[in-house]
Amino acid sequence: MEWFSDTLKTLQPVIRDYRLSFYLLNRNALQRYSLIIIALLILLAIFAPWISPFPTHAISETNPQDKLLPPSSRYLFGTDELGRDLLSRVIFGTRISLQTALIAVGLALLVGVPLGAIAGGVGGIVDEIIMRITDVFLSFPPLLLAIAIASFLGPSLQNAMLAIVISWWPWYTRIIRGQAVSIRERQFVRAARATGTPMTSIVFKHILPNTMAPVIVQASMDIGGVILTIAALSFLGLGAQPPTPEWGLLISTSRTYFLNAWWYSTFPGIAIFITVLVFNLVGDGIREVLDPRTRKF
Amino acid sequence: MTKYFEIHDLSVGFQTFEGIHPVLNIEHLSIERGETYGLVGESGAGKTILALTILGLLPKPAAIIHSGEIWMDGVDLLTRSEKQMANVYRGKRLAMIFQDPMSTLNPVFTIGQQIERVVQKQQRLKGAACAKRCLELLDMVKLPDTSSLIHKYPHELSGGQRQRIIIAIALSCGAEFLIADEPTRNLDVTIQAGILKLIAELQKELQISVLFIANNVGLVNVVCKNAGILYRGKLVEEGASEMVVNAAKHPYTQTLISAIPHDKSEKLRFASLVIKPEAQNGCPYYARCGIAQDICTNQIPMLKKIDGEQRVACFMAGGNP
Amino acid sequence: MKKFILRRLLLGVIVMLGVAVITFFVARVVPSNPAAKWAGPRATPEQIARATVELGLDKPLVVQFGKYLADLLQGNLGYSLRTRRPVTLELMESLPATIELVFISTIAAVFIGIPLGVISARRKDQLVDHLSRLFSIGVVSLPTFWIGLILQLVFFRTLGIFPMGGQLSTEIKVMMEIPKITGFIMFDSLITGNFKIFFDALWHIVLPGITIGMYPVGLVARMTRSALLEILSEDYITAARSYGLSERIVLWSYALKNSIGATSTVVALSIGYTLVNTFLTESIFTWPGIGSYIATAVIGLDYPAIMGVTIFSAFSYVVLNLVADIIIALDPRVRT
Repeated sequence: MEWFSDTLKTLQPVIRDYRLSFYLLNRNALQRYSLIIIALLILLAIFAPWISPFPTHAISETNPQDKLLPPSSRYLFGTDELGRDLLSRVIFGTRISLQTALIAVGLALLVGVPLGAIAGGVGGIVDEIIMRITDVFLSFPPLLLAIAIASFLGPSLQNAMLAIVISWWPWYTRIIRGQAVSIRERQFVRAARATGTPMTSIVFKHILPNTMAPVIVQASMDIGGVILTIAALSFLGLGAQPPTPEWGLLISTSRTYFLNAWWYSTFPGIAIFITVLVFNLVGDGIREVLDPRTRKF
Repeated sequence: MTKYFEIHDLSVGFQTFEGIHPVLNIEHLSIERGETYGLVGESGAGKTILALTILGLLPKPAAIIHSGEIWMDGVDLLTRSEKQMANVYRGKRLAMIFQDPMSTLNPVFTIGQQIERVVQKQQRLKGAACAKRCLELLDMVKLPDTSSLIHKYPHELSGGQRQRIIIAIALSCGAEFLIADEPTRNLDVTIQAGILKLIAELQKELQISVLFIANNVGLVNVVCKNAGILYRGKLVEEGASEMVVNAAKHPYTQTLISAIPHDKSEKLRFASLVIKPEAQNGCPYYARCGIAQDICTNQIPMLKKIDGEQRVACFMAGGNP
Repeated sequence: MKKFILRRLLLGVIVMLGVAVITFFVARVVPSNPAAKWAGPRATPEQIARATVELGLDKPLVVQFGKYLADLLQGNLGYSLRTRRPVTLELMESLPATIELVFISTIAAVFIGIPLGVISARRKDQLVDHLSRLFSIGVVSLPTFWIGLILQLVFFRTLGIFPMGGQLSTEIKVMMEIPKITGFIMFDSLITGNFKIFFDALWHIVLPGITIGMYPVGLVARMTRSALLEILSEDYITAARSYGLSERIVLWSYALKNSIGATSTVVALSIGYTLVNTFLTESIFTWPGIGSYIATAVIGLDYPAIMGVTIFSAFSYVVLNLVADIIIALDPRVRT
């Protein structure tokens, strides 16, 4: 419990900065709209069953007589090859994408952050080993490792998420380790070591809370990228499986029909684009504000 | 009688998150053709900012010029567009010797490449003639072994060598107005003397005007005809350098002068550090001033003429509030 | 300098070894029953048992890895489950088509992305900058596979300007003999003077090229912009301007040269991204490259093929980064 409040205390400058960045973000119309859209998306995700016109179409029910209808007042986004309302499916897709992305990033943090803290805090051969492993993982081009792991684990949304976690954690380890190394040399850590405090205590109580700030910024920027990755994996057939209304899967299924049913490919793609865009915009804005060199003042 | 170079009521501020921070407040400063003017101030006083303002090279979004005129040869530089400054003034007519030679030399080009570029542009020389001129310039600043020096990169040279290269590059512009921002800072005394002599010779020969920026008052008396003292962006005293050094009227100038040891036997007298709270609407020097009165907290003193051409911005100077 | 290259090469080799370990782990240890998969869905227990011995799966893990490594060093990537042909061979056959795409996207990244980034940095916060930044962020937020579909929809289905897919039209493929010197259709047809084939190939590469090229342009523009912003705030740029040097020289020579390190890193990164993006886009355009190969392999769970492409891509990426690191080391400050 104390550790938690310690972390909160060291995060205060970041939180203050967040308030600062909030203020500055609101000065830029683009950022403001992006934040509003993110809030809307979260609402869509939470209240999907109540907002969608045909919630049952999102999972199980099919409606074959209405198949492949263009957008109309009844079916705002048209229907798919099984007559299901595309709008409802896209709305439920919001839930899936946001949920999976948050869990994936969260788990990657859970793995990567402690490893980085240990590597940076302990140093020596432990540091070397962890960093070499990180280097090897990072030497795969983005997405490739996720594809390989997902195909070998077996295609499913959970496995895709797992694959992402496995390929993403090294980024956080690297960031945290860099921070930890510079903190390790600071007075209060040396004092703790001199008084014989055990290493685990030093790493987790002293070093870790002070390194969290940049990685939290990075993680919030990564959400967009993870959403794209999930969509890509599902598109290839490695992620969500039918009938899950995941956006990438929707686009993949649409390939057979899209030349005559343009709405089928278009709307899920727009959903992905807007979602990733607003996360990227906000992330970019936050980074611009917190980086003292690009500040306007 | 308009002088060759004059600054009137220049006010510059920097935009910070907490509002606009004033950095320069110069009511009056003038330099004749062929004259050297010394500007003295401690670090952070705004000397380099003044130099950049004259050149039109202030960092754009952050710096705001509230008001003022900088007259050079009948033209107000502050009214010139960026294009005009770049094509007509910078290099050709205005040049600057920068303070920190490490950060002002491009790290990925050799010395030779950098000086050649400027010579090509300003002196319109090419090929062999250009190379010859570059070596000449490097010789002028007493750099040894110039033919191998030009193939070296900035980080391979010593601080003193880099400093002299910066001087050479500035001189290669052939400008009529030279701003020298602490040009001899890192150099040992003999070379310092050599550089000062060089500038003096060029001055006599080509009638260049020099704005000599220093943080050492003693140097100023030797080299400059007139001098100005800058404190936190405000010109607090200016006039003939002899008068400013030997008959300083502003308390700040007086502490600067008294801090120079004149005699080996004389113990270093440290300027008395009086620390009072800041006077928000008054004289910027109030906090450190030993002779401040009430009026100093309420008003900002303007430069007033005392004793002929000497101007002082102090209510207490000359014994009259 | 030589010492640095040697050290970096050594590091690269170690990293590749690590890559081999990880791919081995993923390929052998992760799936539940590789032998069954090799034997096929209708295999009898004896066939599966035989496959187990054939694949060496009955030997201890370390021995298996040893054989795996030995195979790798000889260029043996196993046999495709689908076609029973050597994966290495199939890879080599598919490679040229993908290289054409990667080549085009890299050219775009360098000759459009870099200038865009430079101009954007110079005119920070002006209209050009805002548009360019919006473009960069927008483009990296787009799913590449979706762009391909939309382009097909608009330019093939609706406007009928560009073909839907393939490298060449069927008529050309049937009626003309395609020169096969290097395997690169566009290059070969150009040097043999077969302009009809060349222009047909050019016509076909437009849509896939744009699809693949957008991301690298956006990425490189964004990175170049931030590198340039940092550089333009340096004192030596102010000094150069004070000497009256033209803005053109200050930007494109003085400033840009300082960004070579950052630029080459991001170009290497973008090539890596592009390579993986081909996995997503090639099948849409029926482009006969590695991307289509692995997309088919993934659907059919053709593990050796998947592994082969993974190892190949990972190794290429390691080599790319090695080259980028060496370029960075050419910075005169690093030389000493």
